[in-house]
Amino acid sequence: MVSKLKKRENYLGWGFSSIYLIYTALFWGYPFVWLVILSFSKWNFFGTPKPVGFRNFVRLFTDPIFWRIFLNTVNFMAYFIPMVLILSMLFALALYKVNVFRTFFALSFLVANVSSGVAYSILFSNLFSESGPLNSFLYKNFGFTVPWFSDPQLALLSIAIMVTWKFVGYYGLILFAGLNAIPKSLYEAAELDGATNWQKFWKITFPLINPALTTVLVFAVNLTFGIFTEPYMITGGGPMRRTLTFMMHIYSTAFQRMNPSYAASLAVITGLLSYGCVLLVRFLVEREVSLV
Amino acid sequence: MTRSKRFPYITFTILFIASLVWIYPYFWLLFSSFKPTSEIYTRFWPTKFTLEHYEFIFFMSDKLQRPFVRALLNSIFISVTITFLAVLSSAFFGFALSKLDFKGKKVFFNFVLFQMLFPGFMFIVPLFVLIKNLGLLNTYSAIILPSIISAWGSFMFAQTFKSIPDDYIEAAKIDGANTFWIVTRVMFPLARSTASIVGLFTFIGAWDNFMWPLIVMKDYNKMPLSVLLASFNHEYSSYVGPILAGSVIQTIPMVLIFLIFRKYFLQGISVSLK
Repeated sequence: MVSKLKKRENYLGWGFSSIYLIYTALFWGYPFVWLVILSFSKWNFFGTPKPVGFRNFVRLFTDPIFWRIFLNTVNFMAYFIPMVLILSMLFALALYKVNVFRTFFALSFLVANVSSGVAYSILFSNLFSESGPLNSFLYKNFGFTVPWFSDPQLALLSIAIMVTWKFVGYYGLILFAGLNAIPKSLYEAAELDGATNWQKFWKITFPLINPALTTVLVFAVNLTFGIFTEPYMITGGGPMRRTLTFMMHIYSTAFQRMNPSYAASLAVITGLLSYGCVLLVRFLVEREVSLV
Repeated sequence: MTRSKRFPYITFTILFIASLVWIYPYFWLLFSSFKPTSEIYTRFWPTKFTLEHYEFIFFMSDKLQRPFVRALLNSIFISVTITFLAVLSSAFFGFALSKLDFKGKKVFFNFVLFQMLFPGFMFIVPLFVLIKNLGLLNTYSAIILPSIISAWGSFMFAQTFKSIPDDYIEAAKIDGANTFWIVTRVMFPLARSTASIVGLFTFIGAWDNFMWPLIVMKDYNKMPLSVLLASFNHEYSSYVGPILAGSVIQTIPMVLIFLIFRKYFLQGISVSLK
């Protein structure tokens, strides 16, 4: 009886896993194999792919557009990561300190996170436009306007500001959860020893919030490599290709210039770069946290 | 030990102003969609409110071959189908991964974890090749099929089911329940918060998905709202009012669902505000 039940459970388990595996073989395995094949061949959606070895990758690393995008990505991270990290940290600390209206504060920041990519791109391209509300406010009060999306250097910063607006609430609440996990007794002990707020932050809060901080950083890095909607909708990659991203380049290479094989190798390199970046962040930031 | 701390007035004020700044874009969008076109950029509080932009979206846009109402229904159909199927399938796979004992379970579980390592964008080009070979371009299936089984969702359910005692399952079995019944009537209600988290994130992901439908859907009658709105914005950029009204319509379902399920959203990032 027991072994019969055991057998039945085995069949049931295999039944479930085989459904999953068949689906995955089709919608994940098959694309996976094609990704590898395409990145080592030349193809234009018709006929059979012609193997070309590493030629796609050689071409990629000698392509000035690739390096432009690489620099854009680094540039974006240099704007976005410090901005979003500092603001979400301040948000988390303020929320921790204020214990009334918490739900209101959390929701008003978090609701930005559920804005649709297309809609908020339209929204910000209007808010930041030449004659938009932000510029007319600046002109009325300070007598100048800012070419948010038309200046090559500013365009990327403007996109970083939009993305920061979207993610401060989300990241801030992750950090807030980290703050709540720190035992209150540590602060009380520090206060008895006469520690200042500044000391308490750097000696207790900052080291102990490390896991949450690492999570936020990893999310932010992953997000950077996936950016598509904002530049596609607002700048189209310009001005002077300064807002061109990996995703936009993969899209236009594959579906506008009909070169899916080159786009596939670009996708492989982008995946490896984002993975490498995450590893680097973990290596640099992640620390073993323990309370002794 | 009693500590009397002063109320943090300064922090409170700064946080209050900051949260107003943060929701300002939403209010600007909402107000602008009800303003006469000439006042969109010039006044925050308009001289009169008008429904003309919404009338345009709902009744006139068909004539420009941008059927907004149709697109809204498409978006609802696509997102609801994906969410329903993904949550249901995740519950069953989560059950298999946590509560069934079978040879190879460990390998299955590790494979699901392995799958989650790869970012979705890597597969866009080859997935397009698959959809094209299956002859599914310009169909709803092209958008729905790739998202109905979720490695992440299955993993989330497995983690929750692991903490539910086996006694529930044994009791249901003694009462003669089959596996389908056990998963849908016993396990699922016990994992309601996980179901909400998986459902919420899947719905938002499906509703907000832009790049994939942009690639596989060229038929204006079957486009989800995100793609139709983007194409309208590109080709009729002088119709600022209707574009903003369209953006409001695109945003509202996500914000509503978020507000309804906010408790679970916060649980999803393990925050309690009490």
